[in-house]
Amino acid sequence: MANLKETILNPILKGNPITVLVLGICSSLAVTVQLKGACVMALSVIAVCGLSSLIVSLLRNTIPNRVRIIVQLVVVALMVILVDQFLKAYAYAVDKQLSVYIGLIITNCIVMGRIEAFALGNKPIPSLLDGLANGFGYGLILVVVAFFRELLGSGTLFGFQVLPDAYIPNNLVILPPFALILLGCIIWAHRAFDKELQEK
Amino acid sequence: MNTNSNVYTVIYTTVIVVVVAAVLAFVAMSLKPKQQANIKAETLSQMMAAAQLGEKDELSALGNDNVLRKYSENIDKAFTVNLKGEKVADLGTAYENIELIDNLKPQDKAIDAGGDATLPVYVFKSGVTVVPVYGAGLWGPVWGYVAFQGDNRTIAGAYFDHESETPGLGAKIKDEPWFRGKFIGKKALFGENGIFNLSKNAEAEGADNAVDAITGATMTSKGLNEAINTWLKAYEPYFTAASAPAEEVPAEEAATEKTEEE
Repeated sequence: MANLKETILNPILKGNPITVLVLGICSSLAVTVQLKGACVMALSVIAVCGLSSLIVSLLRNTIPNRVRIIVQLVVVALMVILVDQFLKAYAYAVDKQLSVYIGLIITNCIVMGRIEAFALGNKPIPSLLDGLANGFGYGLILVVVAFFRELLGSGTLFGFQVLPDAYIPNNLVILPPFALILLGCIIWAHRAFDKELQEK
Repeated sequence: MNTNSNVYTVIYTTVIVVVVAAVLAFVAMSLKPKQQANIKAETLSQMMAAAQLGEKDELSALGNDNVLRKYSENIDKAFTVNLKGEKVADLGTAYENIELIDNLKPQDKAIDAGGDATLPVYVFKSGVTVVPVYGAGLWGPVWGYVAFQGDNRTIAGAYFDHESETPGLGAKIKDEPWFRGKFIGKKALFGENGIFNLSKNAEAEGADNAVDAITGATMTSKGLNEAINTWLKAYEPYFTAASAPAEEVPAEEAATEKTEEE
């Protein structure tokens, strides 16, 4: 059980895909302008990452080693297209806002990275948890970044105005470079708290 | 079993791909009606927002079914016209059979080529005529609906949308109600050079057809300006004919107009 706990907690804290492994940076710059989009993106990545880890783990003993990357890619692509189709049918407004980024989850290094590093060598249940936890670790950073960007860039949260009219929204915050600056600050804070992450 | 043999690899990948394709085909087929209903309701609510039948968000919140119903209750007639302003075909407006031209891209190409475009015209019972505009923004297409009052010149309202303009900058064409609000009461100057003018400091000159571009969104504004002018130019023969005192020969009038311009 201790091992399972580690599987779940590690991707969220010590081995966070964004702040420690520095994976999935591109989408964290692109979809963090508004909280709503960031939340849906986070949920989509959690679903894709968890389910594709589960499927690959179930198939792991049958996959021919030489074509394993291609098989993984097919599984991930299947999951991403399913998520996209369901969003188009049941959450059309949000899907419109995220546009191409849902499709680009396929290229998100976190998904392939966890399959290759974990799901191929572990039983289905731990693989599922690992995938979900990594998706969650990614989503957490996404939501934190989106919180600050929407608050400072538009003066709103989830589309509702929270800052008074006297606050003039900062246009820099809306542009991708600010997400990078913010991410840098988060990584800095993370390392300052967790001494183990600091290089000697 | 030897999972590394060639035969196994080929069979394995074939089976995986076929299974995945089958799953995707099934899901896409079963969700398609729902997805298309979403697109249709979205288009209708954008049109009705332009025609001042409600705020876009409120209309969308009605749910797909009620949006369709509200449209069919308020629409008078819908039809398509060609580049000469002649009517081509009727579009269904009954609740069960609402026909739309919601894929504007091919029409935009047809306008550029001067070919046989079929441009939709939606006339509401309030006397307002709604027509679409479509063009290229900074990152992707921008489009919208412009509603004209009974005189076919004065703008009653407008609604704009985009695929991927920068949030907070170009995306303001959709997000900011004050922007589309500025179009209300302006005029499209059919028959003159420059039907509409959406550009920097345009309002300062005090012209009837001018709206200021959005600060920080120069390219999006330019694209939208181009979209509005291209499409209204394409509709020009129709509107000129429609507002001329009821003659039986709108086609000829339109044709003469055209030669004068050239």
